[in-house]
Formats: sequence, C-alpha cells, structure tokens
Amino acid sequence: MAKRIVLRLDHCIGCRACEAACMSRFKKEARIRYGEVSATVFVPLACRHCDEPLCAAACPFDVIRRDEETGIVRQSSFHCVGCRSCVMACPFGVMDTKLRRCVSQKCSLCSDRAEGPRCVATCPTGALQFLEDRELEETRLGVSVTGKSAHWRRP
Amino acid sequence: MIGARRTTCTFCLNGCESAVVFDGYQYRMEYVEDGKVNLGRLCPRGNSANLIIDHPSRLSYPLLDGRETNWSSALEQAKGWLASMVPEQVAVAYSRGLTDRELGLVAGFAKAIGTKNLVCGHIEPENSFNYKAEGVKPATLDQIRGAKAMLLVGDVFMTSPVAAGPMIDARYADADSRLVVIDSIRTRQSGFAHVFIQVQPGTEPFALMALAGMLDRKLKGIDVDRMARLAGADKAKLEAAAKVMGSGAAGFVGSAMHLGRVRYPVLHSLASQLVAQKAGMSFVGFGEGRVPIGPTSFPRLCQAVEAGSIRMLFWFGGLYPYSYPELVPEFGRIEHRVATSIFLPGSALPGYVLPVPSELEKETVGHSYWGQVDRSPVATVYSGARDVSWIIEQFAPGVGPAALDEPAASEPNDIVSRAAETAAGYSTPEAEWTLVGEKRAVGIKGIYDAEDWVNMSPADAARLELCDESYVRVDSDASGDEFRVHVTDLVPAGVLAIGVNRHSNRAMFPLKTGRLEETAIPPTPVNVAKSARLAKPAPEAKAEA
Ligand code: SF4
Repeated sequence: MAKRIVLRLDHCIGCRACEAACMSRFKKEARIRYGEVSATVFVPLACRHCDEPLCAAACPFDVIRRDEETGIVRQSSFHCVGCRSCVMACPFGVMDTKLRRCVSQKCSLCSDRAEGPRCVATCPTGALQFLEDRELEETRLGVSVTGKSAHWRRP
Repeated sequence: MIGARRTTCTFCLNGCESAVVFDGYQYRMEYVEDGKVNLGRLCPRGNSANLIIDHPSRLSYPLLDGRETNWSSALEQAKGWLASMVPEQVAVAYSRGLTDRELGLVAGFAKAIGTKNLVCGHIEPENSFNYKAEGVKPATLDQIRGAKAMLLVGDVFMTSPVAAGPMIDARYADADSRLVVIDSIRTRQSGFAHVFIQVQPGTEPFALMALAGMLDRKLKGIDVDRMARLAGADKAKLEAAAKVMGSGAAGFVGSAMHLGRVRYPVLHSLASQLVAQKAGMSFVGFGEGRVPIGPTSFPRLCQAVEAGSIRMLFWFGGLYPYSYPELVPEFGRIEHRVATSIFLPGSALPGYVLPVPSELEKETVGHSYWGQVDRSPVATVYSGARDVSWIIEQFAPGVGPAALDEPAASEPNDIVSRAAETAAGYSTPEAEWTLVGEKRAVGIKGIYDAEDWVNMSPADAARLELCDESYVRVDSDASGDEFRVHVTDLVPAGVLAIGVNRHSNRAMFPLKTGRLEETAIPPTPVNVAKSARLAKPAPEAKAEA
C-alpha cells in the first residue's frame, strides 16, 4: 500500500525543519518547499506522489516515472536535462523553479532510508506524518482538530 | 571513523538527541526515535550539525591580523606578550561554546595569571536568565505536556522549535487549555495564541509587571495602569491573560529573549519569573546557551579598556561581539589580542585567532532545560584545531579549574523596585522606524537562509511604494545594509524585523550599557530609504541594454 506525506496544518510552526532536513541530506536541494497561507500560517509543500503524475506526463524524456509497486514517483536525475517541464506541470507547485546542479529537485520519499522520509522524522511538532491511505482515513487527521469548534482553529 | 554516533544537539538547551553518520565520504544526520526529549525530531539548527562539521568556513590554522600563520610562532609570540604584562593589564573573557570544564579552566587561567578581569562575553539577552527570582521552580517536560495554561514571552517556538511540539499538543489536548503570548511583533507562535498581547518593542517587562500586579493585588509598588500604558498593551487583553494565569490551572511560564528585541534583559527575566511565581506556576527560560555571569561585567571591561588599563585580552568561545569592531570600538585600543574561533571570522581581526574544535567534536556533560545531558563527540577534532584546555595549558602549565559564581536570587520587592526604576527612565521612542531582531530557526551560517530580507508592514510598503522582492536600504547608528523586502502584517507599521543569525545583521544593533551594569542589545532606530537596486531588471531596461 502506498504511503504518503500528510500534513496536520494546525501543528505547523513554520520553522522549516523539513526543508532543512532535505537540504542537509540532498546537498542543498530543497525537495520539500513551503508556502504562506497567512502571515502566521505556513504550509510545507510536499510531493503528493500522484496516482497519475502530471510531472511524469510532461517530462519530454521520460525521466520521471511512477513505481507501481511502491507508489513513488521517481526522477532519474542522471538523465534530467533541466527543462523545468515538470516544475510547470505540477498542479501543486511543490517543485522548486530553481535548478540545482542543472536538474530539477524531485522528492523520492527518501527511499534510501528504511524508516521513511527525513522531513517527517525531523518535524519538531509532528505536523508532517507518513501514512498509508487506510491509516489516513482511520486517524481522520485534521478533522479531529479543526472540526471541533471555532476556537480550535488557528487564525 | 565510520558509522553512526549518537549525541545531543548543541544549538539550544532543549537537548535533542540525534546521530551523525559518517559513511567514509560525508557526514549525514540520522534521527533517533527513542530520543527521550525529542522522539527523533530536530529543528533546522539540529539538522545542520553534519554541515557545520565540515563547513567551508571552518578555521584550520591560526590567524595573525587576518593572515594565516602557524601554531608554534603564534604561541611563542602570544606567550611573549603575556610575559611583558602586569597581571592587571590582562583581561580574560569567555563566551558560549565552551564545555563546563573549559569554562572552569578559563576561570582558573585568570586566577593563575593573577588578574581579576574575568569577564562574561556572552552578552546576548538570553544569558540574563541566569538572574533568578526567589522560589521559582524550573518546569519539567511532564508539566509542559500536561499544561492547561501557558504564557510564552518572546518567540519560544523559534528558539527551541522541538520544545514547541509538546506545547502545541497541550494546547490542542483540551478545549479549555489556554495559551497567552506576549511579544512586540506577531510571530508564527502568536498564531496559536488564544490571547496575544502586542507591546511596544522591548517593553515586555512592563506588560509582565502589570500582569503580576493583576495576579497579586497585594503586591505593593506596581502601578498596573502605568505599566500597561508604557508597554502599549491592551488592558482588556492583560486582564484576559491574568484570568488565564490566575485560574489555578496547571501550567507554566516560558520566556525567550532575542537580540535586538529586548531593552531590559535582566528585568525581562525577573518579571517573567515573578508572573510564574504569582500564578503558582513553574518557569523555563528558553535560549541557545547559558554561561555563568562571572565577577566582571562587560560594561566594566569596556570602561577599563577605554581608560587604557587593559593592554591584553584573551577571548574564549563565541566571537559575538568581539569580532564586531563597529559595536565595540573600544577593543581597537587593546595592544594584544588572542581569541579562539571555530569559523573564519567575518572580518580580519587584529591579533591572533586560534582554531578550536566545535562543540560537536567535544565530550561533555551539559545541561538542558529538562536536566543533565551527556554529549559525545560525533567527529574527530577538526584538522588544525586545538582544544581550549590545550591552549590554556600552553600559557599556564598545570592550571586547574576554578569556580564561577552565580548572582543571588531576587525577592519580589527587589523586582518591583527594579521595574519602577527602569520605568522612570523609559520614554516611548519617537523614531520613525524601529529595527527589531527576529529569531529564525532556519538561519544558521547561511546554510538554509541567507537572512538578507526584512519584514515590513503593508502600510509602510505602500507608503514607500515597495512590494515583495524590492530592495530597501536600512541604516542604524552602527551599520547599514540593503535588504530584500518581505511585505507581511507580522510587523506593525514603523517596525522592521531582520533575522539575527547573520553576521552583518547583528552588526546593525548597537550595544547599550545601562546604569545597572547590564548590557542590552535593544531595538534600534534606523533610517530607511528606497534602494536603487531592483529585484529584477524592468523589461524596458533589459531591452535597452
Ligand atoms: S530544538 Fe534545540 S536542541 Fe533541538 S534540534 Fe533544535 S537547536 Fe537542537
């Protein structure tokens, strides 16, 4: 069953540790990014590893492919020409427009690490979670916090 | 050395456990899920440990007047300097980044050479949490996890992001839990607050004294209305905060201080603790490191240097403010200087700068907010660096550690009179622009963020006809620089906020020495002008070129 990075927005403090963990491992490549929802609410932008990835469809050289077994949408950076088609195609804007070493920066869910993505391991408040689709439904993430009443929600 | 080494993070006092892996080629971080304090979690600073070990600006040879030299000639000449001095002409300063044993040795070194000028150089405001109020208990991690009422002063979340985890869990655990935040600018932490009290930059202690007065009406000598007015705080919000803190619910007070945002560091520390005491709660002073205050204050050292009675200075540990000639011009009068550093200093410094290992390469038993921590080295000592203990041994063979005293705890009445005295000397600044320092967890050695941007309110940006990514020139009395603008309503009109990890940003904040012998790095008045520099060349300009 594919696992995904999911976010509990109510726990994010905008410290950018996720980005730091990624950059610390992948030599300054920020494969997870962040955006501002409002001045005090920050949202990390992690790759969704879509079932039908548009980045892969847009890649002129078939460098990005989805591994059907693990669900990971993976890029072979060796073959990437840095055309940024994937960056423009991504509907969630999770890929940085800046190239590093002339290739685009694509999350691989830290498949080199058995315990899962580093951004999730490092998240100081547990805002990022690495869950299977089934677990996601069971834990009803977000619903438990934001749904109860207005004062549970952050401004 | 190949393999994973477990250690405790050295970048703040939360004591997060982590591991550094060396695979024969590079260092990598690993997250240890059984870490008691942090469950494997690390903030950006904790994540940068591997990058600090082999950072390109690590110092690996002694410097003389900014030029490379070698250890033997450095030691020989510096020993000659020391031998030519009368002991009282020598000052020994220590700062952050030293182990407890090294601190003891530095004190022992001053004793051995016979000087009384032993100075704490860690003048950052957070070190004022060394000043304790009587009868205040330190909070435990379990108390944080079970808190129902929390007061956070300053940006605790960015000071120790991993400590924010249990606080947020506690905030959401119960619909009745309440979080109060006092700060001069809005931060991401303030977004979590039920009650957010915004004060004038640097006046948190006045708001805290008003709160203490509301919590204990019998406490004589506090003019609650006046204190609230001086802080520019909304009285209704202070009352709401007093209701939360005085509800008798289990909770704690957490306080953090930031360079460029605190006017009265000692009072800030004591007033935060007074509120904890009056609310019957425990207290944590958040910060990145703590160093004993020691016998001679920093302002006294500056006075002695100014008077010409100090001719040689030893500086061990972190280089702020030693390496900022614009902030401490007095140091330019010292004939001979010997400092230690992990990194290449930001500018060429007179005298010697000797390379030492970082804390990650040293074994020590340290302290965190939550108790004692053991720290083991994760890498071998950096090439060319020598331990501080070894350096001291060269100057004074056989020297042993000596004790450094702590200041006595203050009683509530002392705190009240200190606050009254401070309030009497305070008037609301009238400058058009005030620059404050902002704690950004991600700004460390420019690895993740160059901190070359400034937060500006939408009203100010509209007035100056600026937008995101335009440039602005900011000049203070000490220094000036150009910054990229980030338009945000985190800061009120007339206030600009910059990150304070970057060397040149710190240089913007002049030091102030008060009558009470404390050094403060307060918000500073600045001049702001639109910069001629553009973020991107305008299309027409490009076409012409
Ligand atoms: S919170 Fe403090 S101890 Fe933990 S990783 Fe960050 S800097 Fe290190």
